[in-house]
Amino acid sequence: MLANFLIGLREGLEAALVVSILVAYLVKSGRRELLPRIWAGVALAVAVALVFGATLTFGPRGLTFEAQEAIGGTLSLVAVAFVTWMIFWMSAAARGLGTELRGQIDRAAEGGRWSLVVVAMLAVGREGLETALFLWAATQAGTRDTAGSVTPTWEPLLGALLGIVVAVALGYLIYRGAIRLNLTVFFTWTGAFLIVVAGGVLAYGIHDLQEAGILPGLHDLAFDVSEVIPPSSWYGTLLKGVFNFSPATTKLEALAWVLYVVPVGVLFLLRNRIVRPTPQPQEH
Amino acid sequence: MRKTLLASVAALAVVPALAACTENASSGGDDEGGDARALSVTSNADTCELSSTEAPAGTLSFDVTNSGSDVTEFYLLGSDGLRIVGEVENIGPNLTKKLTVNAPEGEYFTACKPGMVGEGIRAAFTVTHAEDAQEVSASDQELIDQAQDNYRAYVQDQSAQLLAKTRDFTELYKAGNADDQARALYPVAREHWERIETVAESFGDLDPKTDAREADVDVAAGEEWTGWHRIEKDLWPQDAKGYAALTPAERTSYADDLLANTEELDQRIQATGEDALEYSITDIANGSIGLLEEVANGKITGEEEAWSHTDLWDFQANVDGARVAYEGVQGLLETKDAALAEELTSTFAALQAVLDQYRDGDGFVLYTALTKDDTKKMTDAVNALSEPLSKLTAAVTS
Ligand SMILES: [Cu+2]
Repeated sequence: MLANFLIGLREGLEAALVVSILVAYLVKSGRRELLPRIWAGVALAVAVALVFGATLTFGPRGLTFEAQEAIGGTLSLVAVAFVTWMIFWMSAAARGLGTELRGQIDRAAEGGRWSLVVVAMLAVGREGLETALFLWAATQAGTRDTAGSVTPTWEPLLGALLGIVVAVALGYLIYRGAIRLNLTVFFTWTGAFLIVVAGGVLAYGIHDLQEAGILPGLHDLAFDVSEVIPPSSWYGTLLKGVFNFSPATTKLEALAWVLYVVPVGVLFLLRNRIVRPTPQPQEH
Repeated sequence: MRKTLLASVAALAVVPALAACTENASSGGDDEGGDARALSVTSNADTCELSSTEAPAGTLSFDVTNSGSDVTEFYLLGSDGLRIVGEVENIGPNLTKKLTVNAPEGEYFTACKPGMVGEGIRAAFTVTHAEDAQEVSASDQELIDQAQDNYRAYVQDQSAQLLAKTRDFTELYKAGNADDQARALYPVAREHWERIETVAESFGDLDPKTDAREADVDVAAGEEWTGWHRIEKDLWPQDAKGYAALTPAERTSYADDLLANTEELDQRIQATGEDALEYSITDIANGSIGLLEEVANGKITGEEEAWSHTDLWDFQANVDGARVAYEGVQGLLETKDAALAEELTSTFAALQAVLDQYRDGDGFVLYTALTKDDTKKMTDAVNALSEPLSKLTAAVTS
């Protein structure tokens, strides 16, 4: 039960984080009318993932392992690009808010409105395929009567679904917490947080591509702390779910993470410092 | 804007999917057909059990079941133990996930990683050549060639021994004063015939002349009864009511006829060049099946040697022939269906064990000494073998 719960929690968290921050941003910046687009993106991603998962499980043709990894890896890289863009877009919009240039906000929102759908879709869809495959496997375990050496049970499905529910709840808590922050703090913290998350997603994507044999160095480890942080422990799960932290990280993954997080982080902080001096009494 | 974005995302997901689709091997799942490419894996904290450690090249599917309490992963690794050929991650307790990979012939490793840490529980795994795949590899073609050469040599050797012993036998029989020796040689000479009976039977003109039983011959329609069993009746006339012994001239005529036909048979079997007999893998496998049918149809019933009752000699010889033919293709079978090979080897041994209980000196007890229980035991052992044996041809030619 616990193991399946943790899988659901991890996969759910990976998707819930970005979505909750997106929602918090729209709510805070008074653009609730754009919320349905986020939900549409999420729903679309879930539907696509479920259909995909079902087809791959029950259909006559499945994906090769390389294809699964290549899709997962590529989607990760695209997601990183979109999240990065989103971080700077939000920060630009915030500057607009700060200086009360309404036109600038609208222009930013106009350019970003459909991109929001895509960001939400990618955030959910990236993990969606994997989660859908897991859920279908769990449904089959619950329904098959013979086959396999384990007794058919609904327990795995229940565990995974509970994990997803808890992940959504955590996402909601993050949203509540974020909504209470003042806008500057919100941008600084969520922005910094998202950069670390995106760095993790990038490393994860690199790892997928290494597993697919597209990138080299799968066995060239930068560090291996699997002993201290077992990946199937609850803390290993949280670290993986939130930051995509892998206890056994390859050099290429670590390099990609550093090369992404350091320059993007510095750039982000620099821009925020430029934002910070501007007065913000209008905000409250 | 909307459409292009959505389309581009959809394309991202779908294009590689189409480009890298693979067949879901045996999408039916656990059908009883025993698809050699459908394997099952059971993983828990300390074991990683595979239903087979080899499979024919092609699209393999591994149904990985987690029977432990921790999350597990399953990997198919290259011969270096490093390259990942395929993996399934996140297999929670009580779950089965499928890994589908296209695996060419070669050496591999399998690994289960309970807890998703470390090297995992590893074992060697072999992907063998597949007949139904593109082309026949050198090593498998070697197995086939070898099987065919060995079988040809075996048939030729048996035929030569048959001819030599038939010559001796007909001499003794014609002499008229060595019937005891002739009777002793009769089942021994016939062993060589019975071992290659399916090959001999393929000569439709020779088989009825040499091996017909009285019941098979329609004397009323003008057919003549010749061959082994005609002479058998003359050597063991005690069961025949009002039997008139053959004259010396008749003896010579039947004996010379049998020898001539056996010489003809041997000539065809030993032929080289254009006339050389070809034994395909299918012929050899079918020959094994056919010889076991001979046992079931004639020997277990005691119909074959109606007068001499030396049916168990024939029985043993048919089994020898079936086993040798099977052993010829065994190497090939092992690369295609190791489980079937194992089953056949053990059921052949079990049948032999039953037969060995009826040995008597160099030979066997007479059929008339057998009870109903004895023949029942034999029937059961033959039936146990015929079921897996019937799959042999399909398995080696798959
Ligand atoms: Cu994941």
